[in-house]
Amino acid sequence: METAGRTSQVEQAAEPKSPQIAPVENGKPVSIEPDLDFIRVLSTQGAASFKECFQCGTCSATCPISPAENPFPRKEMAWASWGMRDRLLRDPDVWLCHHCNDCSTQCPRGARPGDLLALIRREVVVHYAVPHFLARWVNDPRYAPLLLAIPAVLLGLALMLREPLQDALGITGNTGGKIVFSFSSVFPHWLLNSFFGFFGILAFVGAFVGVVRFWRAIMADRPDQTSAPVKGMGASIIAALKKVISHENFTSCTTARARYPAHLGVFFGFLALSLVSIWVITAKFNPLISSDFVYPFSLLSPWKILANLGGFSLLLGSMWMIYDRLEFSDNAGESNYFDWIFIWTLFLVAVTGFATEFMHFLRLEPHRHIAYFIHLVFVFTVLIYLPYSKFAHVIYRTTAMVFAEYTGRNWGVPTPVAPGNGVSGSQRKEEIENGEK
Amino acid sequence: MIRMEDKIGVFICTGYGIAEALDVDALCKVATEEYSVPFCTTVDSCEGPGLDSINEAIEAQSLNKVVIAGISPRRYVDHQFPTAVIVEKIALREHVVWCQPAGEEDTQMLAEDYLRMYITKIQKMGFLEPFQPEEDIDTSILVVGGGVAGITAALEAAAAGYEVKLVEKTAELGGWLAKQHKSVPTRPPYRELEDTGVDELIARVQADPRIQVYTSATTGAIEGAPGLFDVTLKSAGNGKPVDEAIDKFRVGAIIQATGWTPKDPREDLEYGKLDDVIRNVELEALVKDKGRIVRPSDGKEVKSIAFIQCGGSAAKEHHSYCSSICCLTSLKQALYLRESDDDAKAYIFYEFIRTPGQYEDFYRRVQEDPGVFLTRGEVVDVTRNEDGGLTVTVRNTMPGEHIQVNVDLVVLAAGMVPNSADGEAIRALEDAKLKATDGKSGAQQKEAAEKVEQLARHEGTEILNLAYRQGPDLPTLEYDFPDSHFICFPYESRRTGIYPTGAVRQPMDGLAAREDAGGAALQAIQCIEMTSRGEAVHPRSGDKSYPDFFLQRCTQCKRCTEECPFGVLDEDAKGTPLLRATRCRRCGVCMGACPERIVSFKDYSVDMVASMLKAVNVPDEWDEKPRIAAFLCENDAFPALDLAGQHRIQFSPFVRVIPVRCLGSFNLVWVTEAISAGYDGVILIGCKYGDDYQCHFVKGSELAASRQTNVREKLEQMSMENERVELHQLQISEYERIPEIFNNFAELIEEIGMNPFKGM
Repeated sequence: METAGRTSQVEQAAEPKSPQIAPVENGKPVSIEPDLDFIRVLSTQGAASFKECFQCGTCSATCPISPAENPFPRKEMAWASWGMRDRLLRDPDVWLCHHCNDCSTQCPRGARPGDLLALIRREVVVHYAVPHFLARWVNDPRYAPLLLAIPAVLLGLALMLREPLQDALGITGNTGGKIVFSFSSVFPHWLLNSFFGFFGILAFVGAFVGVVRFWRAIMADRPDQTSAPVKGMGASIIAALKKVISHENFTSCTTARARYPAHLGVFFGFLALSLVSIWVITAKFNPLISSDFVYPFSLLSPWKILANLGGFSLLLGSMWMIYDRLEFSDNAGESNYFDWIFIWTLFLVAVTGFATEFMHFLRLEPHRHIAYFIHLVFVFTVLIYLPYSKFAHVIYRTTAMVFAEYTGRNWGVPTPVAPGNGVSGSQRKEEIENGEK
Repeated sequence: MIRMEDKIGVFICTGYGIAEALDVDALCKVATEEYSVPFCTTVDSCEGPGLDSINEAIEAQSLNKVVIAGISPRRYVDHQFPTAVIVEKIALREHVVWCQPAGEEDTQMLAEDYLRMYITKIQKMGFLEPFQPEEDIDTSILVVGGGVAGITAALEAAAAGYEVKLVEKTAELGGWLAKQHKSVPTRPPYRELEDTGVDELIARVQADPRIQVYTSATTGAIEGAPGLFDVTLKSAGNGKPVDEAIDKFRVGAIIQATGWTPKDPREDLEYGKLDDVIRNVELEALVKDKGRIVRPSDGKEVKSIAFIQCGGSAAKEHHSYCSSICCLTSLKQALYLRESDDDAKAYIFYEFIRTPGQYEDFYRRVQEDPGVFLTRGEVVDVTRNEDGGLTVTVRNTMPGEHIQVNVDLVVLAAGMVPNSADGEAIRALEDAKLKATDGKSGAQQKEAAEKVEQLARHEGTEILNLAYRQGPDLPTLEYDFPDSHFICFPYESRRTGIYPTGAVRQPMDGLAAREDAGGAALQAIQCIEMTSRGEAVHPRSGDKSYPDFFLQRCTQCKRCTEECPFGVLDEDAKGTPLLRATRCRRCGVCMGACPERIVSFKDYSVDMVASMLKAVNVPDEWDEKPRIAAFLCENDAFPALDLAGQHRIQFSPFVRVIPVRCLGSFNLVWVTEAISAGYDGVILIGCKYGDDYQCHFVKGSELAASRQTNVREKLEQMSMENERVELHQLQISEYERIPEIFNNFAELIEEIGMNPFKGM
């Protein structure tokens, strides 16, 4: 009996077992009531084999960005196998994961932890979204036409009613008066600005409510409730934003290496385009530029250059993402509808933007207006569905990263495993301070 | 010297570098001049055409005893030589040329000594006549146990043309398999549960004209030996008075497929205290009986079950080996529950999940099920909760948490305990009982009484009821599994012709038991066939020699009857050994044990080895050339010497190696003979012994070690140093240790000094 021999060796190494309940380290035993529907959702919608996890821990060991203490994604794999939906929805660690998929390719059971965490992130977005139905729609291909129809109809109505509105609001004069060849005859700036401004605020409110709900949940669930934060909130936000901007965590990925440049392109492209847009929208009230502000920008204007570079960056980045996910799905991860709808929308924003620009140069009438309309519909789509689509990762991930800084979760800092479980926040604070000295 | 009818021929190979390293003419002169061998010649090689020329010369010269000095004996097979000719092979290449410097005087002396030893040996060897009992060998097979292993063994043996008697203690065939609702998948893709197929198996057994089935019957007595087992069956109830003899017959071999019993779970898991804590076998019965799972306490439909693996065996003191099927059973039973209700939950708490071989696929398939939760952890508590269900507390689960689940039912995956009996222990118990009353002194009686207490659990456990001196059942190893020489052959037991199979031999599932049973049937058939030819079975398969006891000189010391690893020898009333030759494995342990040296084989005897020792030319003391006699076990140490040669490892030229069948056959008189012949020391190298023994004869090298005290006495009598005899254990893979052992010993001899008996 070879096996018997091995068993006894293991037992010799283990501590002597007592039939009594051991003193429980973290409070009482957790009572578990698995959520079978949650498991069914996960296993049918992108994490087909996650239950095959046998908790070897290869995923956490191989993860380049998981912290040494209570590392992800091993514990998340166990919780998901147990159908512990509530706990996963309150788990900031699923957001610290950047879907490198080193774990998924190394997993000896093919359980693909990286893909599971991506799916859980989707569940988090859906769960915290207000109003909830919008998130359900964004996640259901059957609602795709409706979701595109909403911005198209709203924008179309606004444009059709621009004159009565103009009169009612008492707006006079041509806002694009100085402009040689403008869009404003059809798309007046005041209209676009107020339209996008209004819905932007709605989206912002939706996102804010979601994130606040999320923040409360993760703060309520953090292991060390009493200890003081490691850093101030401001410092935490700055530290998290630094990491976001530098793409520090993406650079550690090995399996999904392509994610780094692709995301970098999309991220900075989008940032540049947003910056230009905000600049332009606020132009009238901005003392810095109002004086010599002239539409359209010349091609050599720094704003125009930034916008075009941003557009290219967004286009190339999103194309790279699409190619990567189609060609190297093993490394890039299982892509479901939630991923595709967002990436394709971004891609279409860039494509329609450039199409509009070219038609505008070529003075194609009325094609340039149609293209511009379509472009605006996609931009609108990206904007208003932010809290309900994959775009929400911008806010949830950042929030989780701020939380990690704030509570001293030493993620991204591979430290030797500390003896005993759970270093308290204040201990961690001391460590950081000593380290910085 | 040479008996009239013998005509010895010596062939010396000149190939393999032998002629370059040795003076071949001088070797020939040893044969022809010292031993007056009538025929000695050189051959280029002893393989292929070289071997043909040897066989031609054997025929042309009418040789009947031949010594070939060339390559290792392991390089030949028996049928390469005429059957009536005794052939001895000397490994000049491996043991001399490859491990000694060429052209040296010591090398030449070594080669010449080997030639002397083997010519002497062959002179002493007699022509073999295979053992044939007076009565005919019976070729039928008795299968004890009518579970899946027994049924399969019976079917396989019958399919090969052998008559089978299948004996089952209960009223029905089928064993545990017949008690199962469904079986785990046995075929790719290992996803869906299957019918057990037991009905078909039983129908086939009952329809087979070669198989005679006895139910409600046990083996009341088995006397005799392989080929000649006389079996008395007795009733086990079911309408007939218990213990009434119901049949008597003779069989050639026996297969013991007595199966297993589920282990009683550990006490602190509330088994027996809470109605809803049951064992896997009880759940199986419940499902088979009712077709659904209901709670024993109140008959409520069960919606959740916690399976606790190892039935508590993770605690070492409880059950320390893996039963290999409990994990599969729990996985299967989890599916029973899941198939009954899509929202049902099956929790499986384990220390280790073991699903051997392809069953891994089944494990994965169950893991995928959304309602099955497999968690490593330590179950510490099961209590009744307010809702009438059970609360199971598990600590140290895989992510490190302590958890609780509420379930309707707790199922303990009870382990397998073999249905075996330890024959040796039963015999020891009987002896101790006798001694406790008839002991010579009070202390002896007290000691015996203590032993009776220790062995009390063996009281009345007999299964086979063998009429063997060493006890009524197969001896067992750890955890009460019948002894099996697992190193070399899984089905072996220490009782020739009796083969344990199925879960009594090792924990296994039905599929493995069927495969196992096929092997055991072949093993039984092999035994019958070889016995009928007068040949030994494993591990000296085909050996036609057998021990001869010169009983006139026997002193009834009982060493041979007690020490025989295979229970070959019974005793008459006076204690004289009674040889049951067909039980014999020809290891020669009896020969090694006998102080009167009355046991001998025609081709292996105390005198033969002593003569080989004496044939060596021992140089005078002032030559400073010591001589060391090394006795190497033929199974591991002697082949390891070949390997040392193949690796061209050099060692002391003063060692003269004599292979022995087993170190247990080493007779102490050889120490005396060696010392008085002028040897300076003796090395014994045997196999590993102990729990994981590697000895082909179970305890040969262990016996040799235990006899060392007697060696020391002998040496003291001769006023010799204890260090002059060394004993080593060696695996075949440790060939590189051989030169180390030889050289160190040679150095030691140099330190102690030469044997003062030299030249006397």
